[in-house]
Amino acid sequence: MMQAFTQLVQSTVPLVLLAVVVSPAAGDAEARTYETDVRPILKAHCFQCHGEGGEKEGGLDVRLRRMIVAGGESGAAIVPGQPNESLLLERIRSGEMPPGEDRRLTPHDITVIQQWIAGGATTARAEPEALGDEPIFTEEERNWWSFQPLLRPSLPHVPNAERTANVVDLFLAARMRELPPGEGGAAFDPSSRRAHAFAPRANPSTLLRRASFDLLGLPPTPAESSAFAADLGADAWPRLIDRLLASPHYGERWGRFWLDVAGYADSEGYTDEDVVRPHAFRFRDYVIAAFNADKPFDQFIIEQLAGDELVGADSTLTADAIEKLTATGFLRMAPDGTAAGGVDQSLARNQVMADTIQIVGTSLLGLTVNCAQCHDHRYDPISHADYYRFRAIFEPALDWKNWKTPPARQVSLYTEADRATRARLEAEAQQVDAERKAVAANYIARTIEQELLLVADALRDDLRQAYQTAAAERTAEQKKLLGDHPSIANISEGALYLYDRRRDARVRDIESKRAEKLQQFIVAATARELAKVPDELRSQVQSALEIEVARRSPEQTSLLAAYPTVTVTEAALASLDPAATAELAVYTEAADEVRKSRIKQHLQEFSDKAAGIRKSIPPEPFVRALREAAGAVPPTFVFHRGDHGQPKQQVLPAGLSVLETDAAIDANDPLLPTTGRRLRYARHLTAGRHPLVARVIANRIWMHHFGRGLVNSPGDFGVLGERPSHPQLLDWLAVELIESGWSVKHLHRLIMASHAYQQTSEVDASLVDADPDNTFYARQSVRRLDGDALRDAVLAVSGKLHHRLYGEPVPVMEDEVGQIVIGRENLDGERKPTKPIPLGGEAFRRSVYVQARRSRPLAVFDVFDAPAMTPNCDRRATSNVAPQSLLLMNSEFAAAFSLHFAERLGADAGSELRDQVALGWQLAYGSPPQEGDLEAALSFVESQSEAMQGNAAETLPEAAKVQALASYCHALLSSNRFLYVE
Amino acid sequence: MTSNQTVTRREFVKAGAFSLAPLALASLLKDRQLLAGPIKPNVHGQRFTLEPRPPHHEPQAHAMISLFMQGGPSQVDLLDPKPILTRMDGQKFPGKIKYDDVGGASSKILGSFWKFSKHGQCGTEVSELLPHTAGIVDDILVIRSMRTGVNNHGQSIHAMNSGRTQRGRPSLGSWLTYGLGAETDELPAFVAMRDPAGLPVEGVLNWSNGWLPSLFQGTVIRAREPRILNLEPPARLRGDVQRNYLAYLDRLNQQQLDRFPENTDLAARISNFELAARMQGAAREALDISQETKATHELYGLHEKETQEYGRRCLIARRMVERGVRFVQLFTKNQYWDHHGSILTALPATCRKTDRGAAALVTDLKQRGMLDTTIVHWGGEMGRLPVIQNDAGRAKVGRDHNTYGFTMWVAGGGFRRGGTYGATDEFGHHAVEDIVNHFDYHATLLHLFGLDAKQLVFKRNGREESLLSEQPGKIQPGLMQA
Repeated sequence: MMQAFTQLVQSTVPLVLLAVVVSPAAGDAEARTYETDVRPILKAHCFQCHGEGGEKEGGLDVRLRRMIVAGGESGAAIVPGQPNESLLLERIRSGEMPPGEDRRLTPHDITVIQQWIAGGATTARAEPEALGDEPIFTEEERNWWSFQPLLRPSLPHVPNAERTANVVDLFLAARMRELPPGEGGAAFDPSSRRAHAFAPRANPSTLLRRASFDLLGLPPTPAESSAFAADLGADAWPRLIDRLLASPHYGERWGRFWLDVAGYADSEGYTDEDVVRPHAFRFRDYVIAAFNADKPFDQFIIEQLAGDELVGADSTLTADAIEKLTATGFLRMAPDGTAAGGVDQSLARNQVMADTIQIVGTSLLGLTVNCAQCHDHRYDPISHADYYRFRAIFEPALDWKNWKTPPARQVSLYTEADRATRARLEAEAQQVDAERKAVAANYIARTIEQELLLVADALRDDLRQAYQTAAAERTAEQKKLLGDHPSIANISEGALYLYDRRRDARVRDIESKRAEKLQQFIVAATARELAKVPDELRSQVQSALEIEVARRSPEQTSLLAAYPTVTVTEAALASLDPAATAELAVYTEAADEVRKSRIKQHLQEFSDKAAGIRKSIPPEPFVRALREAAGAVPPTFVFHRGDHGQPKQQVLPAGLSVLETDAAIDANDPLLPTTGRRLRYARHLTAGRHPLVARVIANRIWMHHFGRGLVNSPGDFGVLGERPSHPQLLDWLAVELIESGWSVKHLHRLIMASHAYQQTSEVDASLVDADPDNTFYARQSVRRLDGDALRDAVLAVSGKLHHRLYGEPVPVMEDEVGQIVIGRENLDGERKPTKPIPLGGEAFRRSVYVQARRSRPLAVFDVFDAPAMTPNCDRRATSNVAPQSLLLMNSEFAAAFSLHFAERLGADAGSELRDQVALGWQLAYGSPPQEGDLEAALSFVESQSEAMQGNAAETLPEAAKVQALASYCHALLSSNRFLYVE
Repeated sequence: MTSNQTVTRREFVKAGAFSLAPLALASLLKDRQLLAGPIKPNVHGQRFTLEPRPPHHEPQAHAMISLFMQGGPSQVDLLDPKPILTRMDGQKFPGKIKYDDVGGASSKILGSFWKFSKHGQCGTEVSELLPHTAGIVDDILVIRSMRTGVNNHGQSIHAMNSGRTQRGRPSLGSWLTYGLGAETDELPAFVAMRDPAGLPVEGVLNWSNGWLPSLFQGTVIRAREPRILNLEPPARLRGDVQRNYLAYLDRLNQQQLDRFPENTDLAARISNFELAARMQGAAREALDISQETKATHELYGLHEKETQEYGRRCLIARRMVERGVRFVQLFTKNQYWDHHGSILTALPATCRKTDRGAAALVTDLKQRGMLDTTIVHWGGEMGRLPVIQNDAGRAKVGRDHNTYGFTMWVAGGGFRRGGTYGATDEFGHHAVEDIVNHFDYHATLLHLFGLDAKQLVFKRNGREESLLSEQPGKIQPGLMQA
């Protein structure tokens, strides 16, 4: 169905943020100090070989200014005040250091170092006396903005502020005064107060579309549009938001955002096979339900990090316990190759742990903790040992030495009642199996006797006995005998069908054997009767017998009449040789029996009955959970250069040492069967004093409302991340989140109630020029729908969207050319596609339910920047590439849904083309067309109708009309106004 | 704004054709002050594009066309003559045989039904079944010592086409385009051309990107319209219908842009529709063989029913490479060369379909001066055994799989011209001389493209993955021009 152009584009990889950071003291050459300006450069590029972990190449340690001055084997590395005499600078300038073409320092960095030396190579303060094994964080590092305590800031005073609806606007308005004038100048006179004002409120239809996509990821229906337009109440807007927040589709949209961060996937990844992860979807459903219920975010975090420790070891699974265990799926989302054969288990397990740490770090802390896995973090104050202390929090649960493979970590959700039902039904089925077995045994016995009829009489008993003797106990003679008679030796339950298949041939065999027997009996009886004839007549009688009846002489006829018993018939045998008759009857009965038998069919009836019973057994659901083993307290070691084969010193669990609030965590909680480390840490994170967590979460919520975060690197609040554009607003929102009881919906209401959110996107070009990225929020941004929302919107407006919530993922498969489409894979042994399996309405379910197999991103998602879960995605890219246009122009997806859309218009808007066109516009854009739009659309449909008939002369005018309307729908679906939300 | 570091929107859109450049970057870079800061290192991920990039060393080959003969062409009947089979026809094979299908196996030697004779200046012996190949022997190198060592189709296909016997890895074309990009931004970098009669064994995995970004997946040219999905609309939406649609769409988009002047994203998307239309035109043009001369049509056998289909694909392959496509692979239909039985009639038919087009391709590339830089590969995943399979009379006999010694040929792009390389034993069962394992072939192939097979790596799960995947791929100088 969906044929996208994945060959030409890919979007599975997060983009490099080519953005640049501004050195704090840029341009202030005089004031350069070691700590502020030079150390960050040397830390990033030089510490690894010159100071860190005992490495001092050339005897040089550059971690302190005095050590640089002291120098190494080649003498002093710098001469303060004399840049041109300084060896360090010379080596760096010549490109000798750091070694390697691609590791050269930038001219800017070199200039900074040169200026620092020229300025006397000063330090900000006295340097520490000694350096230990672990790095000493400088004051500058500790003072990093995101590590500072979270306090509610006082409100800014903004004189003459216009259009400020709430606190959010005040903070934005306060900074808006810094907005530089546009390049045009005239329209944006910095002295003009208006230049710093918010844009006017957007019109109602724009606001409805914006709110609907923001909260539900779906366009508003025409009924919702007219209701909202007609609602003139002062509280129309907050009521709209409440209504949207109450929709179950809210959780699908906002759950999806969290699933990106959690690295949700329906497959294991890691190996080439990328095997399916069958029960992951329950975590997806947990997340959706949590957002719908506005589960307090602190609880949401605690459950995901330590749901199993909340549940304890109790084996009875209440609904609440199941929910908490399902939540731990968060720690089971990393790519995991440990169930596959042929992988290096130690490597694979430690990789799962590293990926899990990366997911936790970027999602909750907004830090690239993972960068300290092999060495001290190059930019942020996170030491190598910090990483392993952090890992120790998760070590008892993931425990790579006592690893639970993916199948082993499944928790059954079967209830006692389910188990009883299963036992009862299984017993019933086994009863049927036993009946089948008995019937089959009888068939085997009968088949043996039938087949024995075909072998020499003398062998029958021996053969029967040989067959009945257990294979291991058979004598050599018995083996040989059976070997000579494969048709008896091979009789088994499994082979019965083969005998059944040869039915006609077997009847013929038995009947011809009977005929042969009959002949023998007649010959023998005749001989016996002849013997009774007097000796002198015997040869005459015999001769007469041997002549055909018709050719006998009258004498011969009368002679035979005198001795009637010598003319033996089958009927006569009954009296002459009752034993022979009885034996012949056996053959007759056997032939009859074979003729009538339907062994395969008969046995199949039993199998079908048993299968039917088993099918009614309720399926056993599983949760892919993380359950820490009780009593296990494995040690954690620092791994030299991240190599699990080189464990160094042991460390104890703790948060990050640079955060003063992140104290050590008890290694083992005596009140819990498990160590309690994760529970303790999760509670610490959500206690309200952690500087990062609430900021990170509030920032994400903001980001999805404005298209950019207040910190525009949502997964990195460290040195390489971006600085907050509005630090006080961020803090205010973070505190508000906590004090509202961690209510995400509260934050939505707050943000959406602001004038900033409700502004129009339509503003003067010079404002866009002055603030191209809209970091001042003097307008709303125009945002492209992501791949999920785009597909959902197409499904919704074309009337196809299937609204069912939750459940097993909708499968994806490769189409005939290898693109990934929705469908159930049905390949033969050579991977050639066979008969398609219909999915019904499932194919039209929302994107969040489409199977997320790492190696198989659905083509339409792939082209529109699907998240690459390696291991998670902290922000989706928004690329703008030609393959997207090709998909919209030419794909089967676009063509098919345009037609659905047109059919819907025919069904919903009556027979007038004008009405159909108008409804299409309303559905796609959320507002009615202007008169000019309508006229242009009508004339387009008319001309397409003609062109359609030109393309295929046989096209009926009626069909051409539908297709022309579909072409109009196609244009709407591929237009920017549909793809973007204002 | 005039800084040379500023990327204009136009350049952006161009770079955006096959890359992932975020448009937001343009506006970021507009603020020149930001350019004073240090550039962030690549810690958040890598950016992948199909822009051409220089290889590790000076390359000889720039493009490749692989004619994949799926099923296993019988080397002892085509390119590796074994007179002893004829002499011992019907006798018991004296050594051990590695069968795949033990069911129909026999150990009776089967002499070839066909005559071999020497051709060209190099004197390579070719079977009468391949008269056109016989005409190009001085331009091709016949490798008689290929080996993968796994006797079934799927695994051996993966060995030849993706470096290892396992499923799920990137194919050769994906590696080449990952390493080198392509010389075109209007056509796909890696093109797969399937037989209209069906997919080869392993289906679409033959051009899979595995775990390389999907940018490097092979784009399929289909037998029916639309020939390239998404690059062309369904038939009913062609021509005027599409022109009208684009014109109307442009109207809608312009209207929107008028409301948001200076919105680079909206503007770029309009340009991307223009670019998409150009790409569509470029694909159409590349597929349009009516522009070729009558002589060319005849060279490829397009005037004859039997050779037409394959010949057309060979010709399109040349047109693709001519336009900057890096790698084209043509597949025969499912098990086309898998002659377990009736080899007497089936093998000649298979040869008739493919021989002419394959030879024409080499001749044509040479005439155009493209052979020096374009590699042509002809071969399958295996060869066949010297003994009979399905011993049910002359008309019914066939040969079972043989991956221990089989033949393929290569031409152009720095491969040696004329003659043979390596040898099988006297019966043609095992490669014994100058053995070329699939990984040796790959190492040599990448070398000709200027790539070091050990350095062309992709980081995955903390490891560096390569086409060789830790197998000891050896560059074989004897395969290359001195």
